[in-house]
Amino acid sequence: MVTVSISEAEAELTVDERAGLELVRESGGIHQSDFWKELDVSSRKGSRIVESLVEKELVDREDTVYDGHNTYYITPTARDLDFTLLMAGDMLSPFIGEEEVDPNSDAFSQWIMNLAYQE
Amino acid sequence: MAFEDLLEDPVIQKYLHELVGPKGMPVAAAPPDGEVTDEELAEELDLELNDVRRSLFILYENDLATYRRLRDEDSGWLTYLWTFEYDNIPENLEEEMYRLHDALEQRREYERNHEFYLCEICSIRFEFGEAMDFGFECPECGSPMESMDNDRLVHSMDERLDRLEDELNIDANVDA
Repeated sequence: MVTVSISEAEAELTVDERAGLELVRESGGIHQSDFWKELDVSSRKGSRIVESLVEKELVDREDTVYDGHNTYYITPTARDLDFTLLMAGDMLSPFIGEEEVDPNSDAFSQWIMNLAYQE
Repeated sequence: MAFEDLLEDPVIQKYLHELVGPKGMPVAAAPPDGEVTDEELAEELDLELNDVRRSLFILYENDLATYRRLRDEDSGWLTYLWTFEYDNIPENLEEEMYRLHDALEQRREYERNHEFYLCEICSIRFEFGEAMDFGFECPECGSPMESMDNDRLVHSMDERLDRLEDELNIDANVDA
């Protein structure tokens, strides 16, 4: 398998695809029926843009019912998330690598202290 | 090397470090393209075979590596061919963001619903009931405990919860 980096995939987008990707990222999630209206393109073109972004793994798409119609809900991929929200100061979430989440653990107290007094 | 764009992210580096530890980091930080054996990695990185295997199995347990086994027909020995699956890192971290969110919500409730006392000498915090049992004197050093205000903790938890909810599109509890 050849791994194409995401930034490479992004660099090859058309102007419309780039605008579509930005729209999905800014909205945090949008129905396909709103997507093409917002982009001011035809529904056919809208669905081609989404198709291409899904294929390049730049957005996720799932079936949904919206206003009584079957449509898709398009969301940014996990890659677009801000992972720094797992950090408090220079400490990573203490639940990583742990099976159980204990909200009263000493490690989590330390994390919260960092959050309150280091940021 | 593969997955360079992911590995540039300092949070992802920290995440891998947390999983495999300092000794495993040379393995985790330089995933090769395609398949590789544990022996090849040990030789290339000049590491003990056991340390390499340990890191590979930790990555495997976290869905970050897979292997297939080949049997050498002459010797009967098994060879493990490993593939790094770092495309799963973002989903794993997304899951961690949800776990952190849930823990923060629970902890915020606890912080809101309890009163605390602090021994400023030992920096130990006691719940009201505990503090009362000790007669508001620190069991370690005997000095008097002071009532402690946790508004700043709760406030910073509120802020982080808001940002996580925004990022993950979680609807905040109406009653929270």
